[in-house]
Amino acid sequence: MSEIFSSELTMSKNGFLFDHGSGLTYTLNTTGQLIFNLLESGKKSTQILEKLMTEFDVTEDTARKDLDDFYRQLKELGLIDQ
Amino acid sequence: MEKKSYVKPTIVRHSIGVMNKYGRPPATVPMSRLAGFSVKELVGQYGSPLYVLEVDQLRQQYRNLFRAFSTRYPATRVAYSYKTNYLKAICSILHSEGAWAEVVSGFEYDIARNLEMPGDKIIFNGPYKTREELTRAFTEGAMVNLDNYDEIQVCEGLADDLGKKLPVGVRVNMDLNNPPWHKFGFNIEAGHAYEAVKRIQTGGKLDVRGLHIHVGTYVDDVNIYAAAARGLVSFYTYIKEQLGVKLEYWDMGGGYASHNTLNWAWQSAEYTCPTVDQYAEVICPILLNGPFGSGDAPKLFIEPGRALVDEPISMITTVVAQKRLPGGKRGVIVDAGMNVLSSVQWYNYNFQTVQDSGVTVEDTILYGGLCMNIDVLRQSAALPPVRRGEHLVIPHVGAYNLSQSWQFIYLRPAVIAVDDGKIHVIKARETRDYVQQMEQVPEDFQTYRSESRK
Ligand SMILES: Cc1ncc(COP(=O)(O)O)c(C=O)c1O
Repeated sequence: MSEIFSSELTMSKNGFLFDHGSGLTYTLNTTGQLIFNLLESGKKSTQILEKLMTEFDVTEDTARKDLDDFYRQLKELGLIDQ
Repeated sequence: MEKKSYVKPTIVRHSIGVMNKYGRPPATVPMSRLAGFSVKELVGQYGSPLYVLEVDQLRQQYRNLFRAFSTRYPATRVAYSYKTNYLKAICSILHSEGAWAEVVSGFEYDIARNLEMPGDKIIFNGPYKTREELTRAFTEGAMVNLDNYDEIQVCEGLADDLGKKLPVGVRVNMDLNNPPWHKFGFNIEAGHAYEAVKRIQTGGKLDVRGLHIHVGTYVDDVNIYAAAARGLVSFYTYIKEQLGVKLEYWDMGGGYASHNTLNWAWQSAEYTCPTVDQYAEVICPILLNGPFGSGDAPKLFIEPGRALVDEPISMITTVVAQKRLPGGKRGVIVDAGMNVLSSVQWYNYNFQTVQDSGVTVEDTILYGGLCMNIDVLRQSAALPPVRRGEHLVIPHVGAYNLSQSWQFIYLRPAVIAVDDGKIHVIKARETRDYVQQMEQVPEDFQTYRSESRK
């Protein structure tokens, strides 16, 4: 398990996420799933940004803004600490 | 290698109670076209926000309502409640379908006359009518429904001036809803309505020819109309017996609901909003049992507003920003504010995405673009991810939002009408000149006074 998440999380192939600590469940869309997997494998946020830009038709501005929002959301949901 | 198309990343916590089996389907099916045109192109040409009227739908709303009532009560006339939306093009379309005008002020009366509605196809209601306005209305043969004793007195004076007995209607109210609508006219249960009719008849200068009741607005309980109709029938029976009044018309007012969900409603309008046939089915048979022979029935007037114009008009808005609120909820800001969508006070509008954004929805608070904390268009909507520059369409915004709009910090949007594949601008977007055209700056205000200006 990666260091980054605050508790043990398991994600199914179609984006269903289970939090073993709280018992809460979540759904991630495909982009969310990709980012989650990258975070889990220990990638840094700059690497994740690059990956989004090579994989998808998206500008750096948009990708950066969306990533920031996604991290904020993970934090608000209590899934990551920093 | 070709890149995949991009969707904003989302994660949504599953929770109980946010959506339930009664909820609307989430707005994830993109609505890229409106009235046969690409939403993007409409915005490109006419700006955002933008009101879009579908003319054919407006005509259908009218025809359907008229059919529902006139097939059950042949002597039915529909008088369109101007205050709901008095854009000239909209009133003209409804008049071309046969609607009379129902007006509640001298200003609205003047709009109707300016559209060449003859006076005898105008119903003049409202609690405040000036002597000049009443003179014009009586002279031109309009139907005037009286609201209070002061008005009775003014009209008696007018009858003297004009040298003839004037036909009038009397506005009545009953204890039908909670809180009751007692503002308009004279109360029946308290005996005020009887006193008023008696006072008018004995005065000898006016003659009561009609009764008018307006039970409320967005009344989605047909039983209220049934009770109102029963009340009118028994009141008519009584004043006919006691005072020899013979009615030429009764007027059931407006209030028929449209397909919008009220803020406090548990179920959405799709489930709760009665059809026009359901309204007509409770009202007409009761009225037809009134104290008159067959072929002698008073004319029935109805004064629908929102039931006609709410649904044929949509608004296109554009997302200008989004933010994450403390607590994790997403906030989305659009370019239209509550100044052009005043009915957000009552309605949980449906915000429909235009572009394909995937199927994952997130609980979102929708803010208007005004620099005011209260400018919230919807507290909670299940929306898929959207980005700055993308559009949201809000259906069913035709009632009250235009006539009650106020100009504040932005110019108000254009209104276009789509008719048979053709686009007509029926109200251009405002300009600064238009907004300021009644203003003056006295010369003296601009002359140099203060040392601090150096
Ligand atoms: C006298 C009268 N008639 C008709 C209406 C139209 O009401 P609605 O838009 O609810 O049909 C109103 C509106 O309040 C009204 O005051």
